Amino acid sequence: MKRTNGFLLIAFLVFLPIIALIGGCATGTTKHATSVVDYLFPDTKEPVVTPGIPVLTLPLRVGIAFVPSDSTKGGRGSQFRGGFPPFHGGALALTEKRKADLMQEVANHFKKYSFVKEIEIVPSAYLKPGGSFANLDQIRTMYGVDIIALLSYDQVQFTDQGKLSLTYWTIVGAYVIPGEKNDTHTMIDAVVYDITSRKMLFRAPGMSHIKGSATLVNLSEELRADSDKGFSDAAKEMIVNLDDQLAHFKEKVKERPAEYKVVRTPGYTGGGTGGGSIDPISLMLLVGFGGYFFWKQKRI
Amino acid sequence: MEAEAHLTAVRFPVWTLVICASAVLIFNSPELRTLLIYDRAAITHGELWRLVTGNLVHLSNTHLAYDLVAFLIAGTIIEIRCYRFFPTLCLSAAILIGIILYGVEPGMYFYAGLSGVVTAAITYLCLHGLTEKGMWRWLCAAMLAGVIAKIGIELMLDQSFLLSVGTEEFVPVPLSHLIGTVTAILLFLMSLSASLEHPKNAL
Repeated sequence: MKRTNGFLLIAFLVFLPIIALIGGCATGTTKHATSVVDYLFPDTKEPVVTPGIPVLTLPLRVGIAFVPSDSTKGGRGSQFRGGFPPFHGGALALTEKRKADLMQEVANHFKKYSFVKEIEIVPSAYLKPGGSFANLDQIRTMYGVDIIALLSYDQVQFTDQGKLSLTYWTIVGAYVIPGEKNDTHTMIDAVVYDITSRKMLFRAPGMSHIKGSATLVNLSEELRADSDKGFSDAAKEMIVNLDDQLAHFKEKVKERPAEYKVVRTPGYTGGGTGGGSIDPISLMLLVGFGGYFFWKQKRI
Repeated sequence: MEAEAHLTAVRFPVWTLVICASAVLIFNSPELRTLLIYDRAAITHGELWRLVTGNLVHLSNTHLAYDLVAFLIAGTIIEIRCYRFFPTLCLSAAILIGIILYGVEPGMYFYAGLSGVVTAAITYLCLHGLTEKGMWRWLCAAMLAGVIAKIGIELMLDQSFLLSVGTEEFVPVPLSHLIGTVTAILLFLMSLSASLEHPKNAL
């Protein structure tokens, strides 16, 4: 009897820290972020760049790139608080392939516009952390683009334990009961710059919020899936917002010709603004036609 | 006899003046222009009136002047000669232009201008002129041939005659002229068949 009690006591003392450890792993926050400001204005000691008047040559050649994360600066990149990192999907929120896929989605959407001649997808390897406009000038030379859409993202994942996590004490519960509650907040932001003039033309964000649940064992897999879906949903919303912002920008260009100059390449007849107008030749013929009618009527 | 009565009893071109006054009012009010222009994104979000009102918005002084002078001439003659269904023609042409451009020109964010409706009015006027006698009939036939030839050339070259002389900030849309002409032909045929069925309702 005494042996049995002793065995139970030892078992309890061994499993208690393990259960406490895996329970503790399951709560925490993970954040992945990149910043256009950190990329374009890395050194605050330098004077602020004064933008010029952008000259938009139609059709446009547009580049699209994710700004690199600058983990050396401390404030951005990937962070996690609480829990045990391996349970939180690791440090890479977006792989290069995923970035390329998302950029391709955006590019496919904007290729249909006749005022866009081509869209170049620029891999992250070509952008240096804190590269600023000097780096953009290099991109401009390499890819022959006039305008660049810089994409940045901010994703925060929260993991909390629900009441169901009590079943983890049975060990089996950790495998089959979804006691983990996950919240994934994602924002992707597109900032469109005219490289030569250093002028920001417009920006458009896309956001998503995903709530999910997971068992303790498949938590990291579930978080990765939520992260991926969060980026997809945010990218879709960003594309819609980009459409809207582009339309407003075109209106702004029309209203403020002193601030934006539009130049058409010879032979270019496409464009986003159509006008129904009578040409001078037809008008002259019509004036003659009407003149005859009124002259005839006067005589009658 | 009836035709002479039409010519002698001069009618006030109410619809023509209302439409021209609306276009001038809208042109001089940036708020109205923003609210009424054919804006694809706004239409997608439910602002369907823009499909019609975009025809009343103009983008520059020249754009407004050319369209208004042409519409004043064509509309006034139509109303003076009491050709029926003129308001219906203007409205149906405007609606069809908006809807068809929305359907077939996804790359066009904005559209503005009365030229599609003007082309509809000129075509309608010329078609009615063909039913009359004398020099006027031949003039209308020549004008109609000119309009059709112009639209054909514009569509073949995919650009307007306007490009060769203008420096406008917009791209001319020959399709709107084609839609206007087709609308006028359809309405003319409908009014013709109505007048054949009920001879009292002359054209």
